[in-house]
Amino acid sequence: MWPFIARSLEVATILLIAAIGELLNQRSGVINVGIEGLMLLGAAAGFITASIWGLIPAFVIGMMIGGLFGLIHSILSTSLKVNQVVSGMGIWLFAMGFVTYWADRYSGPLPRGVVSPRIYELSPMFFIALIIVIVMWFILSKTHLGLKIKSVGENPFAAEVSGVKVIRTRYLCTIIGGMLAGLSGAFLSTTYLGAWSHLPTKGLGWIAFALVMFSLWRPMILLGGSLIFGFIWQFAISPETIYAGIPAPLPILRMLPFIATIAVLIIISREKFRKKWALSKPEALGEPYIKE
Amino acid sequence: MISLEALKLKLERIPVVSGGQAVRISLLSLVLSFIIFSVFLSIEGANPIDAYTNIFSFAFDPNLGLPTTLHRGLFLLFSTLAFIIPYSARLWNVGMEGQFYLGTIGAFAVAYSLPTLHPALLISLMLLSGALFGAGYGALAGYLRGKLNVNEVVGCLMLNNIAFWLIYLLTVGGPWAGIAESTSRPLPPNAHAPMIFYTPFTSYLAVGIAVVLYIFLSKSVLGYKIRVLGNSPTAAQHIGINAPRTYILVMTIGGAIAGLSGYHMWAGDPAFLMIPRPEAYKAIGDLTYWGLIIGLVCLLNSLAAVPLSIFIGSIMTGSTVLVRRLRLPFGLDVLFLGLVSITFAAFQFFYMYRIRRMK
Repeated sequence: MWPFIARSLEVATILLIAAIGELLNQRSGVINVGIEGLMLLGAAAGFITASIWGLIPAFVIGMMIGGLFGLIHSILSTSLKVNQVVSGMGIWLFAMGFVTYWADRYSGPLPRGVVSPRIYELSPMFFIALIIVIVMWFILSKTHLGLKIKSVGENPFAAEVSGVKVIRTRYLCTIIGGMLAGLSGAFLSTTYLGAWSHLPTKGLGWIAFALVMFSLWRPMILLGGSLIFGFIWQFAISPETIYAGIPAPLPILRMLPFIATIAVLIIISREKFRKKWALSKPEALGEPYIKE
Repeated sequence: MISLEALKLKLERIPVVSGGQAVRISLLSLVLSFIIFSVFLSIEGANPIDAYTNIFSFAFDPNLGLPTTLHRGLFLLFSTLAFIIPYSARLWNVGMEGQFYLGTIGAFAVAYSLPTLHPALLISLMLLSGALFGAGYGALAGYLRGKLNVNEVVGCLMLNNIAFWLIYLLTVGGPWAGIAESTSRPLPPNAHAPMIFYTPFTSYLAVGIAVVLYIFLSKSVLGYKIRVLGNSPTAAQHIGINAPRTYILVMTIGGAIAGLSGYHMWAGDPAFLMIPRPEAYKAIGDLTYWGLIIGLVCLLNSLAAVPLSIFIGSIMTGSTVLVRRLRLPFGLDVLFLGLVSITFAAFQFFYMYRIRRMK
């Protein structure tokens, strides 16, 4: 039972790190639908680095490439005012091609000797993810910087008038969001999978993206959501560990996380929740900031 | 941060970009992506000019790549049209992948249950069933958006992943499994698409739909209503357009068009005539997202989408020679497509702004 829980917590870690980054950049008003692509890039960079230099450099390089593409997304969407969905999709399509070209030649497990440390079968990255979430919660709800970030996402014009650098804040948040997505990808390929196979994210990035919407943009709800979806995802992969002889075939189980996502989306879109949801949604989400 | 002031430049908003400008911008964007890709080619030790000559001479050679170019290009056209209709109401249909999978299921279900039917009848039924399945899936996303207010991007992406596993369920060890385990059984000969000039008849169907769609969106009352809703939901409300119903309608039409591509893809290419293994059908499914890029680059003009789809199809087909003929590393062909897509996305900027020198 415990090995299963440890694995689910690792999936939760992947979701949580990527989603908390997305939450930050959405708070500043930038949607990044390229999150799956950023994770792929981080995963590839991390995997290749890990086979040469080991794990710590892998996470650093994964974060750097994620940050680089976060920067590209901000140049496109914040400075060039390209529609954020288009820019994100462009980055995702690019990432699929680039990662196939770059990393598929190294398909297979990590070389012997590159072993992730585990505390009772659980990667310490889980605790790092928790720390990141707490820090993010603290920054967003208790600090002046957090207030600035939220004001940029709610009403960039008012924020600018009161002296907040809108463009700079959006760049900062999108780059950090990208770095976290890259880190999440690197963790996925080096620790959770420990091997490279063609396009390994398999929709985890989209789930992370949806989790941000469920969370009403609050880090602590996001934490809960990640834990639940980490469990569902892992259950779909190895159901026999907690339910021996489960009658459902594998593909049905693999649909579960996505079906569950739609179910939650429907619930939070009900009249009762909708008002609350609309209130907590960053008002300027997805809107380019055009200075008059 | 880009500071234009320092370079004595300023941005000027373009109210409406004209067709001619769009063509020029797209050509520039292609040139840029070709230049960037040359760097990768050089890194891999290939001569870029030589590589591009190989790519396009293969893609347009009637005896080599032309059939595949047309087939893949018009497959993209289906996805593009499936994107254009909902986007005219400013709804992001990124569910073409799932609608295409459902269309595949619809078409194959008919072919497997009535394999000996007369070809004309069987193929018509397959197309109809594919369109219905795709339409149903599109309608589901439209219902989620229109009635339940679920964000259509997230909704569609989840439905896409579900549809991927649905095909997996049917093919890999499922009721449709072939001898090769992870692919489906071959289609019955009666279901194969008749070819007209190097390409299955469904390619012409795609072009026909593009023409109809163009007229529908620009000339019909319903098309006008859809565009009003897209441009101003408030105005649409005032003149009594039922937004939820229109959202469901556009997603249903989009889904039906994407659903048709299920038959076109698998029955129209002699290399398939079945559903291939999961990685292979997923790779085709991923191509559907090109519909979004092509649709926006063409300013939602479905007639302009025809040549552009075929051109992108030629890159898809031609760049396979990099790996097969020039012995360059695997994945270079998909990288090329990725570069083209990201530069197209970046060049959307020039659809909105022009850079002027400050006086």
